[in-house]
Amino acid sequence: MLRVESVFKSFDEFMAVNGANLQVERGEIVAVIGPNGAGKTTLFNLITGLLKPDRGKIFFKEEDITPLPPYEICRRGITRSFQIVNIFPRLSVFGNVQVAVLSHQRRSSNLLRPADRIAVKETREILETVGLLDKENFTAGSLSHGDQKILEIAIALGNEPELLILDEPTAGMSPEETQKTMELIKKLAKMRELTILFCEHDMEIVFSIAQRIMVMRHGRTIIQGTPEEVRSNPEVQEAYLGEEYA
Amino acid sequence: MAKKESHLKGLWILGIIFILLILVPPFVPRFFTYILALIFVTSLLAMSLNMVVGFGGMFQFHHGVFYGVGAYATALMLTKTSLPTWIGFMAGPIVATLTGLIIGGFCVRLTRLYFAMLQISLGSLLWAIVYRWYSFTGGDDGIHGIRMPPFLQALNHSYYFILIILTLSLFLMYKILKSPFGKTLQAIRDNPQRCEAVGINVRRYQLLGIVIATFFAGVAGVLFVILERSVFADLLFWVLSLEIFIMCLLGGWFTFFGPVLGTAIIISLRTFVGKYTEYWTLILGIILILVIFFLPEGVMGYIQEWFKPGMKEAGQEGKKVDASSRIGL
Amino acid sequence: MAVGWAEIICQFLVGISRSMILFIVCAGLSFILGVLRVPNIAHGSLYMIGAFATFSITKMVGGSYGFWVALALAPFLVVLVSLVTERVLFCHLYQREHLMLILFTFSLSLILGDLVKIVWGAEYRSVPPPELLKGSISILGASFPRYNLFLIIIGPLVGIALWLFTTRTKIGKISRAAAVDREMVGVLGINVSWVFAFAFLIGCYLAGIGGALVAPTVSITLGMDHTLIIEAFLIVTIGGLGNMWGALVGSLIFGVTHSFGVLFWPQFAIVFPYMAVVIVLLLRPKGLLKSVW
Repeated sequence: MLRVESVFKSFDEFMAVNGANLQVERGEIVAVIGPNGAGKTTLFNLITGLLKPDRGKIFFKEEDITPLPPYEICRRGITRSFQIVNIFPRLSVFGNVQVAVLSHQRRSSNLLRPADRIAVKETREILETVGLLDKENFTAGSLSHGDQKILEIAIALGNEPELLILDEPTAGMSPEETQKTMELIKKLAKMRELTILFCEHDMEIVFSIAQRIMVMRHGRTIIQGTPEEVRSNPEVQEAYLGEEYA
Repeated sequence: MAKKESHLKGLWILGIIFILLILVPPFVPRFFTYILALIFVTSLLAMSLNMVVGFGGMFQFHHGVFYGVGAYATALMLTKTSLPTWIGFMAGPIVATLTGLIIGGFCVRLTRLYFAMLQISLGSLLWAIVYRWYSFTGGDDGIHGIRMPPFLQALNHSYYFILIILTLSLFLMYKILKSPFGKTLQAIRDNPQRCEAVGINVRRYQLLGIVIATFFAGVAGVLFVILERSVFADLLFWVLSLEIFIMCLLGGWFTFFGPVLGTAIIISLRTFVGKYTEYWTLILGIILILVIFFLPEGVMGYIQEWFKPGMKEAGQEGKKVDASSRIGL
Repeated sequence: MAVGWAEIICQFLVGISRSMILFIVCAGLSFILGVLRVPNIAHGSLYMIGAFATFSITKMVGGSYGFWVALALAPFLVVLVSLVTERVLFCHLYQREHLMLILFTFSLSLILGDLVKIVWGAEYRSVPPPELLKGSISILGASFPRYNLFLIIIGPLVGIALWLFTTRTKIGKISRAAAVDREMVGVLGINVSWVFAFAFLIGCYLAGIGGALVAPTVSITLGMDHTLIIEAFLIVTIGGLGNMWGALVGSLIFGVTHSFGVLFWPQFAIVFPYMAVVIVLLLRPKGLLKSVW
């Protein structure tokens, strides 16, 4: 469904992504791992159009989405959550998700009907799925960090994506919150038949839920394969797992 | 639901204020009526600005231009052509909106301070032309003695006309801010990058916001002509733009009625304090500094905080969040 | 009317000399923008105070060297005013959001404007150019005021002094570093608040010099702050925010287009510089030279 073909991106002299390749099939849960600064977030920014690659192409459902602006890419069916909380702090929790739902339904430019009565059902449904319904009237900026990260995911669901990209969904969460979030991600994948691409530094989580794993180092793809293949790859062991498993 | 109750309470307060405003003119001196009408006109301008500043998060630093252009369009139609008056009145908002579309179209390609600077330069260009084109706009003399149709001859009649248009405009603006578009605009204010990521074409919505705001600025311009029967180049000068910007910040830029309050404060100050001392801007400056230090959400923001369950207005769901990271330069 | 080469050259030089005043003021504004990231609306008021102070000092001292004393002292009066406002009020606001800082500098300009009115009144004032610079010289038969020649010389001198200051002195280097990377300066254990204060004072000093220099060429009056500040903002933007040489380029563009406007189509003279600014901003919205933002 998603195909990233030898993509390059540099900032000044620094090669953030240096020939990354990635393939995601429909219905898969794919993880991208790699040490800090391996270029994971940059790769996600490239896929979602926030950055444009210097070289290389990105295909989604066989369409070249490389030159598209972020909002067009989103409309093709890719949405994402951000590593650093990236919500609408002055809107209510409900409003945060509703904005995405409205955008998905192409009703954002409706000028005269009160928004309180549009897309309410869909928005509530999403909030219920992620477990934030009881806080729908809270100002988003006043939520706890964990809840804000969940809200991140909820916003991304508002567009009913086919491919959901999660950039370190559990960053900064407590162990229980992490556990709950991972359950949520699994549930979402099943319930909504989502394809999920995520990155995460907790190896236990990655190996427990990812069906395939892509390993990055210095902006380059080392390998992409099943957890077993990745685990047994000598270069990966040396480069990355080595530090933890040796 | 508590929300509904407070909503009703707010409507009651507004209704009472509206009725009081209707009753006022016969009982007060002409001058007072005039000042009230001037506050209405300027309030409409400030609120239209606040749509893009407080709710849209854009650095609309030269909003006065659209007001001035609207006023001039009407004034020129009324003095240079013999077309019916209502066409002249229509011309204001239309020309203002078109100007907004053009200037806004250039500006939304940029963000924050660069947005502001491009707008100031384009606006100043327009000002310079109006200021100098004696044969057409009257230059720095402006245009005076614009004739009004009979039903707007008396000050009281203008007052009611302005009040009605203001009420209608406020109602429309309120609807718009409560609509999906309004919500989306506020989302863009909070986080444009995230909006792109949920499929919103940020620039297009910003432009639409500017177009709507400039339409209302144009309406305010027409009302100004009705009230003053004259126009002058200062309407397009950046000092006025800054002044209305200050009205929004002073009144409370995240609240719906904040700009009205800010306008009322500044105009009353100028009129009534200005009577006693020629140094009223000194007092205004001191008040502003006090506001910066003690009421960062503006006077209205503070009042709403105080009567928390009281009035519930568009955009008020954002209390207590420090927006500095979002709205800073 | 045919315009001769001599007039064109003279008008060009007049444009450049006017640019020099703009440059000095804008370099200060740009410096503050670069280091503090604040568009200082009160900058115009400080420039106005500089001009009024020059008037008073010139008159008080009198004689042939009155103006020179004023040129030396007036900017320091401006610095004194800004030092007080910075330490008493402004320094408490650095952490606040930018719109509030802009609002603050605007409030300051309102207050300073009225203070000028209280001290100097609302009449027009003028300062005669010093004895040495009275009259004009002849360039290809057209007359060119000596004072403007003086401006053309002093502009680059101030520019070089500022350049030396920012590249050769420690405090100058720190301010420049603060402009590029604020965290860095904090990490180095330097008191950022004082760096800001210092940069602010330097910027205001330049506004004061600009005001003093402009005094003999215009009638000094309330409201001169308003016309200046908007021009200054646009100049700083087309040059590249926070870039001193950008301020120079921007000032030259503004001043020269204006003076040619005066020559060819006087009625619309003020339209020309704005037109130039719009064209530059449409082509290069972030300015001609590199901005520090």
